[in-house]
Amino acid sequence: MLLWLTIAFLTAAASLAVLLPLASRRGELAGATEHDLEVYKDQLAELERDAARGLIGGEEAEQAKAEIGRRILRIAGGTQAVDGVQGARRTRVIAAAAVLAVPLLSWGLYAVLGSPDLADQPLQARMSKDPSDSTADELVRRAEEHLRANPSDGRGWDVLAPIYLRMNRPAESVTAYRNAMRLLGATARRESGLGEALVADAGGVVTAEAAEAFERALQHDRADPKSRFFLASAMAQEGRLDEAADAWRRLARDMPQDSPWQGVVAAALEQAGEMTAAQDETMPGPTREDIEAASDLDVEGRAEMIEGMVARLDARLRENPADLEGWQRLVRSYLVLGRKDDALAALERGIAALGAEGGDAAETLRNFAAQQGLQAD
Amino acid sequence: MVEAGHFALVLAFVLALVQASLPLIGARIGDARLMAAGNSAALAGFLMTAIAFAVLTAAYVQSDFSLLNVFENSHSQKPLLYKFTGTWGNHEGSMLLWVLILTGFGALVALFGRNLPATLRANVLAVQGMIGAAFFLFILLTSNPFARLDPAPIEGQDLNPILQDVGLAIHPPLLYLGYVGFSICFSFAIAALIEGRIDAAWARWVRPWTLMAWIFLTGGIAMGSFWAYYELGWGGFWFWDPVENASFMPWLAGTALLHSAIVMEKRSALKIWTILLSILTFSLSLLGTFLVRSGVLTSVHAFATDPTRGVFILTILTVFVGGALALFAWRAQALAPGGLFQPISREGALVLNNLFLSTATATVFVGTLYPLLLEALTGDKISVGAPFFEATFGPLMVPLLIAVPFGPLLAWKRGDLWAAAQRLVFAFAGALLVTLVVALFIDRASVFAALGLGLGVWLVLGALTDLAMKAGLGKVGFAAARRRLAGLPRAAFGTALAHLGLGLTTLGVISVMSLETEHIITMKPGETTDVAGYELRFDGLQPHQGANYTEDRGVFALMADDGRTITQIVSSKRLYTARQMPTTEAGIATRGLSQLYVSLGDPTDDGGVVVRIWWKPFVTLIWIGSIVMMAGGTLSLSDRRLRVGAPSPRKTAVTPVPAE
Repeated sequence: MLLWLTIAFLTAAASLAVLLPLASRRGELAGATEHDLEVYKDQLAELERDAARGLIGGEEAEQAKAEIGRRILRIAGGTQAVDGVQGARRTRVIAAAAVLAVPLLSWGLYAVLGSPDLADQPLQARMSKDPSDSTADELVRRAEEHLRANPSDGRGWDVLAPIYLRMNRPAESVTAYRNAMRLLGATARRESGLGEALVADAGGVVTAEAAEAFERALQHDRADPKSRFFLASAMAQEGRLDEAADAWRRLARDMPQDSPWQGVVAAALEQAGEMTAAQDETMPGPTREDIEAASDLDVEGRAEMIEGMVARLDARLRENPADLEGWQRLVRSYLVLGRKDDALAALERGIAALGAEGGDAAETLRNFAAQQGLQAD
Repeated sequence: MVEAGHFALVLAFVLALVQASLPLIGARIGDARLMAAGNSAALAGFLMTAIAFAVLTAAYVQSDFSLLNVFENSHSQKPLLYKFTGTWGNHEGSMLLWVLILTGFGALVALFGRNLPATLRANVLAVQGMIGAAFFLFILLTSNPFARLDPAPIEGQDLNPILQDVGLAIHPPLLYLGYVGFSICFSFAIAALIEGRIDAAWARWVRPWTLMAWIFLTGGIAMGSFWAYYELGWGGFWFWDPVENASFMPWLAGTALLHSAIVMEKRSALKIWTILLSILTFSLSLLGTFLVRSGVLTSVHAFATDPTRGVFILTILTVFVGGALALFAWRAQALAPGGLFQPISREGALVLNNLFLSTATATVFVGTLYPLLLEALTGDKISVGAPFFEATFGPLMVPLLIAVPFGPLLAWKRGDLWAAAQRLVFAFAGALLVTLVVALFIDRASVFAALGLGLGVWLVLGALTDLAMKAGLGKVGFAAARRRLAGLPRAAFGTALAHLGLGLTTLGVISVMSLETEHIITMKPGETTDVAGYELRFDGLQPHQGANYTEDRGVFALMADDGRTITQIVSSKRLYTARQMPTTEAGIATRGLSQLYVSLGDPTDDGGVVVRIWWKPFVTLIWIGSIVMMAGGTLSLSDRRLRVGAPSPRKTAVTPVPAE
């Protein structure tokens, strides 16, 4: 309501600004000639001041004076003075059109551009309104404000940490879990939560840091399903699909039938099965023989074999560069092997190759790498 | 009241339309009421724009993230000052500032234009209204700062950290006051062409506006250069970057306009120059707006993918420049020839000045646009950097700067070059002395430094000679000369100060370009290094938490020869958390007119840190000179000859002119 009153008031003010001078009766304006004369008189006075100060010579001053005099003579014939009386009817028509145009045009344009039904949302007001009217964002924000004032409120961090994760703000979730553990001590739930947040922050990869958190969680509670699940995922990510599947099967056996993790584990197992099947058929990735061979090798030999596989993948991508997944695997492989420069080179080659193909594959690859902490120039 | 602000902006657009049409018709048919409507429309339009701007500022201060613009460019944890300045630290907000200043100048004409003939004022306001209408439409259709978000996000994306500095509070407003101020000169030129009356009186009316815009633009450019100097952390003061050139071109053309208008005012000559320069200067301002606002500079391809804004401004540019030039071509014959003059005369000197400044403008224009054109046509990306400008712009400036002290000493109509040269003999001797001293004692290798510093001294002493001659020093006694000096018109001081400031800036630029020293070394805490006769000790890195950033502060102690600590220098590397963007904060110690500039690099593995140290002799003269130039302009502006009175309305009733 207040908005509409304001809008009406502004419209009235603008219309009046146009209307008032049009409605007034005034016709006495000096003509252009008088204004010119004023300037030239002023110039003459200035000339005399300069001459009196000796800034210009006598002869020069006389010449200048004559020149200004000629200008005055030239305008003496003069133009007519401006007058407000003539053409009154024409003025009325134009005036009416202009005065009408102000409200009509402005309301019309605002109707198209404006959003009159959206209220202001100053942050302070959003923070202090009744919590039951607040959105989740606003509640989180209030909790943050509270924690900024009382950073040693461990319970606050503890509540906020999983909410951050659900809101897809994993980095903040990591901080919150760490704060909660610093203040309230570690539990299996907090450690595994931290691990999950770290995984999310790394774009779904179980990093070494995350794995350590899960291990610590298992020290508190040997049966913690989240930790066991992610540790198995870590094996799958390293290509140890069979071991991962075994771990998941054991987890499914140990958990009660109604555990929410049963579905997740089943889905993971199914996917692992598909992947194993796919590996048997197609060239990319380690073949079953490769993996079996690998298990027989010692540490050095295994590293050599992995390097060989990565080199093969690299070579294949040179021949057939339009393969987003291939590039993603190559970049990650190099990162896992600790060869950051090669990873960066691969990323740049990949972006160049995929960029040439068009579409947003290059962007996807870039984002993928960014999640692993790798930035292309 | 966000939506009320939005509505006020729409109203301002409609009022600009009224302002563009009614006074124009009024001046055409001689109707005083229609012309008067232009005044009140201009005032109301300014008021509405100010309301819109205030509402946007309030939204920034209150962190109202339901505005897309606030969400994209602000953050609730940002210090209050940057919430204010953040209003114009982005495309939409800066365009709103642009029109705020544009309508502000229109309102000034409406308020203080009583000394102008009614038709001239009406036409000026009408042209100003047209420019305003075009830009309001641009804002409303392509860059609306009042676009809303629903639901509103809870936190914003923060302002670019480089902009989180006091510089943002000063630089853009000053620059825009200059840029947009020249729109008034443009409007005056168009109004004069519409009326077909262009004479000495016109030049006097337009002069204060030209001066005002020039003062602001000078300040804006100098402030921008100083900001880049201390904020970007690599110690340069001018990069020949397209954005800088975009503001430099109107300055060059505006400087020529300023001088040209003097001739027109005094002698009614150089009319074509003056009108064309008025059009050119504002056209270059518009071009600058196009370059900076269309995104064409970031990448021609980025521009090609979203050309809406760029094409819109380009259309505005074409219509206004094309229209102005067409009008000029149509009316050019109507320009009555002005006073005659000899080649060697004040007028002749100012024509020379115009020629050099216009050529310099053209040089910068080519250097700025050629790479863009080439990229658009062939896709090749080339970079025209400092070497191009130093090889073209530099040599162009040298003869001009040599000629500057002669100008004010030449008489109107017919000057005596030999007499002027005789008067400048002291300035010449001083310049020669400095050249020799520099060549023999300071830097024996650099001819550039010697001649350049000599040139700067020549300008400074030349400006002082001008004042001394006007005071009659040497002709009359010292006491009399002092009295005469005090009695000089302010414009005389204005000229001398502006030229003196130019000399100081030249001294600063040449000195830094030729005599600066740079060290890049790795320092560990406790280590010292010698710089320009001082000793600099690195005391270590200290972590520090700012309002919305974290930083590592490198603390240095600057010591004299005898080991006494003179001052502490703090140089830091910041990380702005919201955007995860690092910045470098340079540490600067001022010694006299020179500065020691310390910038932190990356830490090394063995606990040291890479430190870049510059010794910049007389660097502050660059900006002191600009301030002196501005002071000269301001003195000139306050001269009483610019306060032409308005004629009193006729006492007797106007003789009615028969209706047609």
